[in-house]
Amino acid sequence: MEQQAIWAVGIFLVIYALIISEKIHRTIVAMIGGLLMVVLGIVDQETAVHHIDFNTLGLLIGMMIIVSTTAETGVFKYIAVLAAKKAKGEPVRILVLLSLITAVGSAFLDNVTTVLLMVPVTFSITRQLRVNPVPFLVTQIIASNVGGTATLIGDPPNIMIGSAVKELTFMAFIDNLAPVAFIVMAVYVPLFIWMFRKKIQTTDELKRSVMEMNEKELISDPKLLRKCLIVLGLTLIGFFTHQLFQLESATVALAGAFVLLLLTGEHTMEQAFTKVEWMTIFFFVGLFVLVSGLIETGVIAELAKRAIDLTGGDLVATSLLILWLSAIASAFLDNIPFVATMIPMIQEMGSMGVSNLEPLWWSLALGACLGGNGSLIGASANLIVAGMSGKEGYPIRFVQYLKIGFPLMLLSIAISSVYVYVRYLI
Amino acid sequence: MLRYRFDENVLKLSESANENDVEFRIVLVTDEPFYQAGMKRVQQEFDENRVYTDVLFYHYPGREYKIIVRKDYYVDFILQLMKQRLLQSVEWADE
Repeated sequence: MEQQAIWAVGIFLVIYALIISEKIHRTIVAMIGGLLMVVLGIVDQETAVHHIDFNTLGLLIGMMIIVSTTAETGVFKYIAVLAAKKAKGEPVRILVLLSLITAVGSAFLDNVTTVLLMVPVTFSITRQLRVNPVPFLVTQIIASNVGGTATLIGDPPNIMIGSAVKELTFMAFIDNLAPVAFIVMAVYVPLFIWMFRKKIQTTDELKRSVMEMNEKELISDPKLLRKCLIVLGLTLIGFFTHQLFQLESATVALAGAFVLLLLTGEHTMEQAFTKVEWMTIFFFVGLFVLVSGLIETGVIAELAKRAIDLTGGDLVATSLLILWLSAIASAFLDNIPFVATMIPMIQEMGSMGVSNLEPLWWSLALGACLGGNGSLIGASANLIVAGMSGKEGYPIRFVQYLKIGFPLMLLSIAISSVYVYVRYLI
Repeated sequence: MLRYRFDENVLKLSESANENDVEFRIVLVTDEPFYQAGMKRVQQEFDENRVYTDVLFYHYPGREYKIIVRKDYYVDFILQLMKQRLLQSVEWADE
């Protein structure tokens, strides 16, 4: 191995360890790792910038602007309270409905944003019913990762895969991943009910108090809501049809965001820009440059060669290896840096003679997204919910979550293995 | 403890302790937009901060509100009501 490759691997491993240890904020660590690759001459600045995937960043920023502006109208609170009323104030039914809303929201907004919207309304509803919010939050974490699996914009790993592989359009993600996400959710819901039904009991009087609520009062700005819903609807149509117009998903999301800001004015723009999670954006920037060091020095190509040697180039073995490896790795590592490393590796397999890469991409997406359910540190959404819950006095313990999340994750990967095998490999 | 006074021609207010919270029931008797806007601003104040369980608002028909206030935010809540002129006076009193 060349000296530069050794440096690149060394920096990558140290940075990865620091990200896992969570001693320093992951954004700072990733950016320093990326900068080291440039400062030490492993990649030059132009190459580093070339490796930053602006489609991923643009898609995230665009959706953050649209969703944060829409949230200002109170519509997400309205939906949650309406669901609680439809459930007749019954906690188990509310738990199921909020999980389903989280799953659908995660598929069409993105799972991190969805949980940020769902956690406050969950606290509000559970406080009124005087039930423990933790079962609701745990099921929402799990639902957010399952729902996020279904679409290109649902979960950061999918955004990255969709951006790196142009043939995998928004519709291709839905066509290939939504069915398995639907099956997994259908299996999970009865398990949620079985696990939590006895832990979330309330009185008839408190159920009545939910039923009597006036959810219409929660819509704080109907005029803004109309604008947001029109733009959100057009943006989703844009995602469904982006390949027809040969537009990238980031162009669609950013067009939606800036049309909305054009309609709503400067004040809304200032607020919307403060809601963009710049730390997440710079985390991605750092990672892309960090991984570019491994790509440019040939480390990724070497790893791909070894993986092919291990499986003998057999598509079934390679797909299942990627699926399970991604799932186990994503359960205990942040799935974003993992996917950032795997994408060039799978691309390299293509240039080494693996002709049909499609099952490998879907295996990576399923493993990385569903694997995130395995532990509390498996995905960004998990960490965000746990952080918010702990701060409010309801800590979700690592082991407490692991006992629920890990078996459910294994179950979903077993389902995915059958799905991938039957759909792509027979 | 805090002692407060309100105009009964403007609102009806009752409070009761419930575990670590104090639950308020407020009904705006008057339909003057000034007081409804005031209630909206009180809610906004607590919705916009980064604490999700400090003061929770529940809306009911007939300008009725149930508000669950965490005990450590009791004073903040009362002072916000005062700031929006939903209370007429607030003072410290002996237990």
